[in-house]
Amino acid sequence: MRVLVGGVGYRFLRDESVGPWAAERLEPRANGDVEVEDLGYHPVGFVHNLQERDPYDRLVLVGAVRRGRPAGTVSVYRWDGVLPDADEVQARVGEAVTGVISLDNLLIVSAALGELPADVRVVEIEPGPEGWGEEFSATVRARLDDVLEAAWSLTQP
Amino acid sequence: MCFKNLPIEFDEQGNARLKEGAPNPWSYEVAELQPIAAPGGEEKLQRLLERNGHVRQVDFDPVTRVAGALAFHTVVDLDERRVLETDSMATLFRGYELILKGRDPRDAIFISSRACGVCGGVHSTTSALALEMAFGIHPPPMGVVARNLLLSLEYLYDHPLHLFLLAGPDYSEPAVRATNPELWSQAERWTCPGKEVHGYGTIAEVMTDMTPLTGTLYAEALHMTRVAREAYVLIGGKYPHPQTVVPGGISATVDLSDLNEIHLRIVKFFNYGRKVVALYDDLVQFFYEANPQYRQVGSRPKNLIETGQWDDPFAYDGTFKNVDEWARHRWAPPGVIIDGELVSGRMTQLNLGLEEFVEHSFYEEWTTGGDGARFAADPLGNPLSPYHPWNKETLPKPQATSWKEKYSWATAPRWDRRAMETGPYSRLWAAALAEDYSQGRFIHPTGGSLVLEVPDAGPSEWSVPEDWGAFERNRGRAYGILYSALIAYDNLLIGLDLMRKGETAVSTAYKVPKDFRVGAGFWGAGRGYLTHHAVMDAGVLENYQILTPSTWMASPKDPWGNPGPYEEAVHATPLLENYEKPEDFKGIDILRAIRSFDPCMPCTTHIHTGAGTLTREVVTCACGADDDHDHH
Repeated sequence: MRVLVGGVGYRFLRDESVGPWAAERLEPRANGDVEVEDLGYHPVGFVHNLQERDPYDRLVLVGAVRRGRPAGTVSVYRWDGVLPDADEVQARVGEAVTGVISLDNLLIVSAALGELPADVRVVEIEPGPEGWGEEFSATVRARLDDVLEAAWSLTQP
Repeated sequence: MCFKNLPIEFDEQGNARLKEGAPNPWSYEVAELQPIAAPGGEEKLQRLLERNGHVRQVDFDPVTRVAGALAFHTVVDLDERRVLETDSMATLFRGYELILKGRDPRDAIFISSRACGVCGGVHSTTSALALEMAFGIHPPPMGVVARNLLLSLEYLYDHPLHLFLLAGPDYSEPAVRATNPELWSQAERWTCPGKEVHGYGTIAEVMTDMTPLTGTLYAEALHMTRVAREAYVLIGGKYPHPQTVVPGGISATVDLSDLNEIHLRIVKFFNYGRKVVALYDDLVQFFYEANPQYRQVGSRPKNLIETGQWDDPFAYDGTFKNVDEWARHRWAPPGVIIDGELVSGRMTQLNLGLEEFVEHSFYEEWTTGGDGARFAADPLGNPLSPYHPWNKETLPKPQATSWKEKYSWATAPRWDRRAMETGPYSRLWAAALAEDYSQGRFIHPTGGSLVLEVPDAGPSEWSVPEDWGAFERNRGRAYGILYSALIAYDNLLIGLDLMRKGETAVSTAYKVPKDFRVGAGFWGAGRGYLTHHAVMDAGVLENYQILTPSTWMASPKDPWGNPGPYEEAVHATPLLENYEKPEDFKGIDILRAIRSFDPCMPCTTHIHTGAGTLTREVVTCACGADDDHDHH
């Protein structure tokens, strides 16, 4: 099974940077079947890159997503692939090409403009207060191993 | 004499000096703002609202769709169909100036690049230019060629993206049908003069194909951004945020194969550029014919600033001493345009005229009423304002938004104390008016236009517009594709010639100096002017100031109460949208006005580091404090 694991998020933004941090930590585990990549760039670029590669059987995305849950909450799910209406998709495309990096945008824009694998899994964590820096909050730091293991477990058939 | 408002005059030899007689030449009086929507003005607004149900507050938040980074507040009179008041508000603070303090200057190339997710590589090069001036180095010719190619390729990515993915949807069939259905029937009958070039019979067909997600022009633009990125990474390594830009050149090897690969991609933009130019020429003509008032959408004075970009590989030496000479050889020469006329093409004068003010921004003033400037003069001895970037300190002071006091994280940059705009069109404009343009292989200034000689296709001519507004900005950006492609091609030919001569070095050796140095990078971004001003000592950065195009254009009001370009442009915009009831009002004309500037607020505003971390809620909550308004 050919799998791509992607970390999504900004660097230097404390808890918001879990995605690229996870990509760095998981990269040494990459092998012939599993590729690991920092997807902290705009989704249109990701669509372009996907178009040039052999198709993946599964995409695993990892990142911090602010949804109002208690900080440190880890959610693991299979994306249902349901897209919002065209206006909303265009709004997300606009964000994507003007620099916004977010896991939701990556899913929506990549699915709308390109072709994601049928099997997309997500591991997301609720970040703590927004701030600049390289350190995670204690709450999120305590869940980082869970995030890594959840993501890696999804690389298995 | 290029300055009307600054206390600077020139002697007979053309040397700048302070005007005599003024005890504090840089001081100024701050005018009190009287906004309708401010505390105290609320009563006035309420009276207006009660008396006239057609007066409404409208907040466009976010205009850029960039996570709320730019919010725009307006008061409109829907009966009179005009804008009464405007406030442009940058809602994010990123503080790269603070992040960079005390760092190894080479870090600035990689860290400042992150200041923007749209401008993927220009900050890196601007930073390299600033460091080269400070270090006293410059790249060999092939290194300059490589940087020029990167810049062109970035614009070939950026301009189609704006024209069809960001601004384009405002002119697409769904938008036109929803906001001005009467135009749609005209569009179906309007025959395109440019059909021979772009292939569309009527402008309605063009609008249909500009439809987001499903339109073929939309999809084609997406594809062309990919073509440009493919070429970019051959030298840059990656995009955005290239890894190969270093002081003194680039760190990648450029070989014949790379140049051939890039060549194959650049030439695709010749035909594409001609097509986009023809499309936008027709689109603009249609709207102007349908209603001449569209000429006023987004209009403001013809005051533009252009730093110049694309260095001559054989002229650039990186020094401030020779900056006027090497900069005038650029493919886009520097220029300050006031009321449509070129008042200066000299980089030293452009630099002297720069000031940033914070009366209506969330920062503390760093001078004491104009005293205490660190640098009284630039490195050549020309008098420097205390508000100049080399003297500026970034002192964030978050507080509640007040339209009367402080309401934005953008500063108010001014040249000769005037609001200026910038963009692909300022490049065209400055080149068109240049008296001694020196890069004439494919580009020919006429004094009132710029002739772009496309190989095997003949000339395209951009003319200095009679009326200046949103439609002309978009048209200028379309011509910017051809302009950028031709400059890329010219540099490619120079690169091939250098390769034939064996001059393949792309960088020069250097050591980070440990003594006191200053430097400035004068370059450009997709949306115009970009400068980095650096001060370093003991091998680290003491001060680093980034001035972006969107800071110029999203500027709040200045100390004299004069609005920034977005504010000016929206205030002048007639409301031509077809609405019967206030609740039908979508604000398409206002959005067209703002989007024509290609706003990219992540460039303008910066996230704070360390203590006193700021969040968006600081300002968005205050923005929501207005009671009677709509959110779009």
